[in-house]
Amino acid sequence: MKRKLASLMVTILLLSVVLSGCGGKTPAGPEVSYWDEYKSTFSSGITTLNPFTLPGTSYYTFIANIIDGLVETDVYARFVPALAERWETNEDTTVWTFYLRKGQYWVDSTGNKTQWEITAQDFVDSLKYVADPANGAKNVSTILGVVKGLRAYYDDLADIDEGIDIGKTRDEVVAAFEETVGVKALNDYTLQYTLSGPTPYFLSYATLELFLPIEKEFMEQVGEDFGTNKESLLYCGGYYISHWERDKQIIMTKNEHYWDKDKITLKSLNFEAVADGISSVELFQRGQIATTSLTSEELASIKSTEWEDYVYLSDKTLTTYWFTFNFKSKNPEFQTAIQNLNFRKAIYAAIDRVTLSAIWEPENPEFFCRYTLLPEGCMFDENGRDYTDYPGLIEYKNGNPFQPEKAREYMETAIAELCDAEGNIKGVVPGTKVDMLPIEEFTVDGKLPIDILYTSGSSETEMKKALLVKEMLTTYLGEENVNVILGFSRNSFTNEVWALGNWDLVDDSYGFRFGDPSANLNRITTDGSLNDSQYEVPEFDALVEKANRIYTINERYAAFAEAEKWMLDNAMIIPYMTGGGSYRMTRVVPYTTPQGYFGMAGYKFKGAKIQDKPVTKEQHAQLKAEYEEALRALSGN
Amino acid sequence: MRRYYLSKLCQALVTISLVVLVVFALLRFMPTTGYFSKEEYREMDEVARNAYLRSLGVLDPTLVQLKNFLAKLFRGDLGRSMTLYPKSRIQDILRDKIKYSVMFNAFSWVVSAVIGMPLGIAMAKNKGGFVDSAGTAYVVAVRSIPSIIIHFFVQVYLSKWLGLPMLFKMNQPASWILPTISLSLGSIAGYAIWLRRYIVDEENKDYIKFARVKGFSQNYIMVRHVFRNAIVPIAINFPSDLLMLISGSLVIEGLYSIPGMGGILIKSIQAMDNNLVQILVLLFSTLSVFGVFLGDIFVSFVDPRIKLQDKED
Repeated sequence: MKRKLASLMVTILLLSVVLSGCGGKTPAGPEVSYWDEYKSTFSSGITTLNPFTLPGTSYYTFIANIIDGLVETDVYARFVPALAERWETNEDTTVWTFYLRKGQYWVDSTGNKTQWEITAQDFVDSLKYVADPANGAKNVSTILGVVKGLRAYYDDLADIDEGIDIGKTRDEVVAAFEETVGVKALNDYTLQYTLSGPTPYFLSYATLELFLPIEKEFMEQVGEDFGTNKESLLYCGGYYISHWERDKQIIMTKNEHYWDKDKITLKSLNFEAVADGISSVELFQRGQIATTSLTSEELASIKSTEWEDYVYLSDKTLTTYWFTFNFKSKNPEFQTAIQNLNFRKAIYAAIDRVTLSAIWEPENPEFFCRYTLLPEGCMFDENGRDYTDYPGLIEYKNGNPFQPEKAREYMETAIAELCDAEGNIKGVVPGTKVDMLPIEEFTVDGKLPIDILYTSGSSETEMKKALLVKEMLTTYLGEENVNVILGFSRNSFTNEVWALGNWDLVDDSYGFRFGDPSANLNRITTDGSLNDSQYEVPEFDALVEKANRIYTINERYAAFAEAEKWMLDNAMIIPYMTGGGSYRMTRVVPYTTPQGYFGMAGYKFKGAKIQDKPVTKEQHAQLKAEYEEALRALSGN
Repeated sequence: MRRYYLSKLCQALVTISLVVLVVFALLRFMPTTGYFSKEEYREMDEVARNAYLRSLGVLDPTLVQLKNFLAKLFRGDLGRSMTLYPKSRIQDILRDKIKYSVMFNAFSWVVSAVIGMPLGIAMAKNKGGFVDSAGTAYVVAVRSIPSIIIHFFVQVYLSKWLGLPMLFKMNQPASWILPTISLSLGSIAGYAIWLRRYIVDEENKDYIKFARVKGFSQNYIMVRHVFRNAIVPIAINFPSDLLMLISGSLVIEGLYSIPGMGGILIKSIQAMDNNLVQILVLLFSTLSVFGVFLGDIFVSFVDPRIKLQDKED
């Protein structure tokens, strides 16, 4: 018996040697072995998995893997078919028709096929669900203006719920959904969206959770419980939830009925709750989880150990940080000065972006500076040219706007225009009391220096930033010219600062939701939702208006670039930094999973490879170079 | 006797209703902007914000909300969480979480009573001796070192020395040990030091000296007189300890990732989850008020000096 076993083992050993020899190039280094499970942690509990009322984008990690949308992205961030097999759009991109894959069924939490097939009606029903204000889908605001008739439908229901008589009952409005709103199931497998206007970038919306399908009959069965436990959800993604223990653990298991199941490389995704970051680094080092982030203290603690070689910096995000001015400030000195172009340009040139970025990233601060309003690397025209490389913007993108001498010059000019010979600011009544309580209260003397209230949040980094900005402005513009008063909100920035207008200068950040410059440029027009500065910029409005009506991509980008340049030329907003840039260690081989910037595009684990040994800096750099090479080849440059 | 219980019960009910009503009203004074993140607040217009608040049910007048709350409560429906666990049934949340907290608190209760009480007795018997000094050193150390540091040492070093898992897993009983140790350290010290103190106090009393003079054995005096009197101040807390088994420890549950009740009240207040806060306040106040009430009754059985019964009863 023993001998038989031994000979069997020898055979297997020999076989494996022969077989691995067949692989061709076998490097001398140790064999790489791969995990068949993704293990990770979460710090705050998973509270709901209703895809339409997610509390934050971190939940996309779950939803993107359990429910498929119409389209997804590939490793090169290109849109590829998911539940829709193919799609087409009309000439002016107002009507989008999706042809669904046939024979796809919803799966339950045991991994078994249910009787419900995924049909076009499921997408109609889901839009109907999110469009009903009673269901509390906060994000719906993002798409209300996109799909034809959606806003009117939403507003009608909201009015009725408010008790306003609009001449129709709730039931009538709901019943008329399919006639009034631009979504239609032409047949079981053909879905058509009619949009409010030409939308060449509609696919970047289609990756939002708001466009995921739901099974109406099932929804009615579970009622309000929808998404609160694993049994009250149906699945159609690469995984289904097989285990969900509140605030403790969530396990997603491979869906054997998934249309693309061959590309699902991992048999399960396992997330466990861990209270603090220390144990997550510890767990990573013990080989129990696949990725971890590091705080700067944790980074310092592993410096000059073997682990240092595994640390990499995560990519920057689409979020842009910027400073804005209050054009209707209660502080008459600032309110007068800020209307002056040279004064704004002086501040624009006096802020040292690199130093600010170094608060977060001391090693490579330039990398995280951003000098344009919109992010680079996510919008490309037909020739693969980046939106931020368009004329007008590229100069801003590549040049550091921090120029202390220029700042001084602008300031001198501004003072000459704003003040009389004795240094009295024209039009300001001396002794005016400025009441910006609960932030600050002060009296202006109508003379130089100009008082500027910089209001900031009260976290440690925000305070650090505020002190730096104060230092920069007083140093580069002159103590005799500006006096920066720092104010800090205590509890709610919204209540104490935005609602009451208690600020002259403020720092803010904005995400970027879909792949078109209008995503943020439309929001910073005179009537835009982000214009807390209350500036009036008819020239910019006209440029944006014009750009919105152009539908050939390169002309459209050129027009938007012109508009954005106008904002920067006039120093209305001061962009300075990108989001992102945290230190991480990982075992997931870079660029094996779908990439993407919008909606749930970058969150799928399809194709993921997880190696036993953490990814080294060298491996990371090599894969990045290869990836960029492949990208260049694809875009034909 | 019956009158005493009834009046105590009424007091308890009044206290609970007042607490619930005050908390209910206070929650409604919180500004509704707290339901939106900064960007959400700006992205959503007035209509959308109002519609969202309405879907949460916070726009109804306070009295209507109170009526709905009470009506549901009497039907045995605890309602649904609003923001912390959106739409989840509160009874499910509590059911999931309470079991973990009860389990660990019960373990720790047993462990600390079993170790703490004998320690206290030994310290008292051995006053000024080695056991007493060692015990005092332990108590002082546990009480004066910030607990978070102690817990951290237990988690990191004990797990290494003893080869125990750092994180709690239900199906892995070895992982239950460290959290139980962490939970018990403080209460062992509590039991030991208070019991020692009461015993020492009692031993110095005249009737004990008299008993000793009469020639009773030391053990007889200890069991029959000293312990029975000394345990009273500790016993009065037994019922409330028992009821409050459901409240978890924020720090320890967080450290070992035990999905129990620890911190749920704080989190629900931060999330402005009115429904959940109300139920939790109701639950905790009821339990603590009844804990005191039952403590009074319990003591009447333990304490030889208290008799609630009238002679003729």
